[in-house]
Amino acid sequence: MKKTGPVILGFLVGILMLVQYFTPNAWIEARYNNVLDWKQVVFGMTLILGVVSLFLYHWRKISRRQSGWGYSVVTIGGLLFMIFAALIWSPEAGPYRWMFDYVQAPMQATMFALLAFYVASASYRAFRARGFHAALLLTAGVIVMLGRVPLGELIGVRIGETHISLATISSWILDYPNLAAKRGVMIGVGLGMTATAIKIIVGIERTYLGRGA
Amino acid sequence: MADEGHSHRRSGRLIELLTNVDRRIIFLVIALAVALPLLFPLNLPVRPSREATAYFEALEALDPGDVIIFSFDYEPDTMAELDPMSLATLRHAFRKDLRVIALTNYPGGPGIALRNLEQAATEYGKQPGTDYVFLGYNPDYSATMLRMGESIQATFPTDHSQTPTAEIPLLQEANSYADIPLLVTVTASALAEYWIIWAGGKYGQKIITGNTAIQAVLIYPYYQTGQLAGFLGGLKGAAEYEKLLELPGTGILGMDAQSMAHLLIVLFILLGNVGFFLQRRAARNGGAN
Amino acid sequence: MHELSTHPVWHAPPHRGDRRTCQKALSAAAPPRAMVLLGMGRQNALRLLGMGLWISTALLAAPRAEPTPAPEAGAPIECRLDVRDAPNDKGTALEICWRAPADSADITVYAIERRDPETGDWQPVGTVSPAVAARDPQGGFRHQDRRAIEPNRTYAYRLAVVRSGARGAPPETLHTAAATGVARAQWFNHDRLPAAIAVLLFSASLLLFIRWARGGRDLFIRRIAGLEAVDEAVGRATEMGRPVLYSPGLDPMEEVATVASVNILGQVARKCGEYETRLIMPNRDAIVMTVAQEVVREAYTEIGRPDLYDPNDIYYTTQSQFGYAAAVCGTMMRERPATNFFIGHFYAESLILAETGNATGAIQIAGTDSDSQLPFFITACDYTLIGEELYAGSVYLSREPLLLGALKGQDAAKAVILALLLGGTILMLAGVDIRPLLG
Repeated sequence: MKKTGPVILGFLVGILMLVQYFTPNAWIEARYNNVLDWKQVVFGMTLILGVVSLFLYHWRKISRRQSGWGYSVVTIGGLLFMIFAALIWSPEAGPYRWMFDYVQAPMQATMFALLAFYVASASYRAFRARGFHAALLLTAGVIVMLGRVPLGELIGVRIGETHISLATISSWILDYPNLAAKRGVMIGVGLGMTATAIKIIVGIERTYLGRGA
Repeated sequence: MADEGHSHRRSGRLIELLTNVDRRIIFLVIALAVALPLLFPLNLPVRPSREATAYFEALEALDPGDVIIFSFDYEPDTMAELDPMSLATLRHAFRKDLRVIALTNYPGGPGIALRNLEQAATEYGKQPGTDYVFLGYNPDYSATMLRMGESIQATFPTDHSQTPTAEIPLLQEANSYADIPLLVTVTASALAEYWIIWAGGKYGQKIITGNTAIQAVLIYPYYQTGQLAGFLGGLKGAAEYEKLLELPGTGILGMDAQSMAHLLIVLFILLGNVGFFLQRRAARNGGAN
Repeated sequence: MHELSTHPVWHAPPHRGDRRTCQKALSAAAPPRAMVLLGMGRQNALRLLGMGLWISTALLAAPRAEPTPAPEAGAPIECRLDVRDAPNDKGTALEICWRAPADSADITVYAIERRDPETGDWQPVGTVSPAVAARDPQGGFRHQDRRAIEPNRTYAYRLAVVRSGARGAPPETLHTAAATGVARAQWFNHDRLPAAIAVLLFSASLLLFIRWARGGRDLFIRRIAGLEAVDEAVGRATEMGRPVLYSPGLDPMEEVATVASVNILGQVARKCGEYETRLIMPNRDAIVMTVAQEVVREAYTEIGRPDLYDPNDIYYTTQSQFGYAAAVCGTMMRERPATNFFIGHFYAESLILAETGNATGAIQIAGTDSDSQLPFFITACDYTLIGEELYAGSVYLSREPLLLGALKGQDAAKAVILALLLGGTILMLAGVDIRPLLG
């Protein structure tokens, strides 16, 4: 019953969500809205589950004095501070907003900014014209990289009335070869998603219950 | 013979230099390439792309008083790239006297949304409740997007400041996608795709989106097929939009830095390849000898 | 009661939603745009399958425009109003239709009003500009009224054909017309018939292949290099006495990439258990974490080593995208895992993770269906499972007949889509336009 119950529930909800797409019936639409409401409730619960898990994980580290336990103190301190700051003052003003604007935002933006450095080092290290295909990829990559910034507009040739710049070639690459490949992947991914949904509805796929393949 | 050995050693050092640049040097050069143009702008020309023009025109085609949805679907990490387009869009909307229903699908989004909304509303003298409303964050983006097609008030019983949405004049006029001529999402994730699939595919909502440069590639197919009315790709998209609006902001300011960074990455790639070819030639010659 | 000629109906704000659905209704009779269908999103890919079925169903399903008699020149301003049930809805919309008069040069706006069934008052529904007519090749107008309409109730409408007065003179009503209509609820949305047939056929294909696989039929699955390397990768960590790190990506449990990732996790955990190598798994989603804990525990139990399982090694970090990237990179720098698995759906953090792993000298196996991140993984990782290889991964490792059959069913559907794409392309290149056949 531990596994049969969820499979039956999954089947019923899955069929409801599938059927509602094809029918405008008011009763089914109302049930569909019920499911969406429940989905939000469950999602809210997962946030609580995450916070509890995070707290326990770091609490254990502190209590066992595992290596790096000092960082765990900072984590729990930050977590509690933000919760109480939002409750006592407001998320829109006061210490919570200050911490968000001047601590969380710059730290997260810094992590994202690292990408510029990593793109540079990874491209330098791995982007080598080892053969015909790699050379083709390299050429296309360079054109798109320059064509996507204002500099690309300035580099080009004029043939009659038409100005062909790196930006023009870059747009062509993105519009045709890139899209053709992308659609191929998208069709495969779309079918994979639909197949997984059908497998879950009929109970073949039970990974969500915690059973590995 | 000695000369040959010396030349071999020299070419070996050159190859080593070209193929094994320390990553810290690369990082330092990139940092300078980004920082210097911000301090000393080159004012490279910005030409609006057709996607950015379509984005601009989608908003431009609306009438004063129309209500749009603006979803801040990003967190502080990508705000350097996405804030310029959010702010420019809000300025455009308020300049045209459009009314805005704002929300976010990320827990870290409310701070960003409030900052942008407050700034643009102050600039154009707009009032919360009548000219704009911020609904806040709702858990579970899929349920939120689908449920909003039925009733925004039911999806968000209160707004971010806990005012019941049933009492907000703006939401009494516009309570589902059917009442909204345009939805804008600015995002760093696949949420643009989900808006297209759920709000666009299921409810026929017209959508435009602002994306990080990396995600822009992902949504290109939707623009080509008309499922997306227009989009802005990365900081360049923001700069193009600012240009169309004639409201220069941090998008245009960042274009010089981005151009230089791209150019340097290309130079590093070329350097690496020159080293690679020299290495291959040396190996071939060595083999022949 | 208001008189139409004095009621400033042309100032009534047009109902945007109505305008849009009206356009949709007008275009419903237009042929489906094959190229649009080809570019649909990944969830909509099934529509591709439905495209081939469209020819046979569209004639039954698509609402058709009625033939319109050509207007006679010099005819008086006259409109015939028709109120119809809006199709494919739950009985909460009516469609007000009329044809443009022959001489419509002076018309500035069409104003529509509805009589309130309770009070009997006429209330403005909306206004339509004559310019809209240009969008309908038949010269007709349609306007959907969806405001507070109840099913099976009769509503009365009237239409005013209005010409604005010259130089501040009051507007003039040239003609009025009236009609009634009843909204009915439908059980099936005919617009979605092709999608319904595609879902049924695809489900049937999956179940058929699963049956064959169960029956012992030999179904071929090609070699996937990244998965062949799992043994070697875990073995290397064992030799070096360092842990294995597994990241399931950023998406929640409902996403297919995460389902596939958790399936592969089961196999990796089994290997780690066999080699007694520690498996670390930072998570961004609490549900994925809970499922992963269960999967790893069961994997260790299956190989008879439940004692190796430590729930603290599969932990939650944060919902924040780059907060998660920071947490995983921090773990890589501190714990120095010898092998990193990045299997699931990733976003811009992919390169940050893969480059940090590269800097620590770990062997890296990535797998994602996120096409925009594939170049980064291919650049910085030793092996990469591309797109569907990720979905095939768990089948490849487990050879479970049920999953293998489903995989083959997908292949069959893909073959059908390919055939349709090729057929459509050949027809287009040959200049054969089948769109008129589609209604």
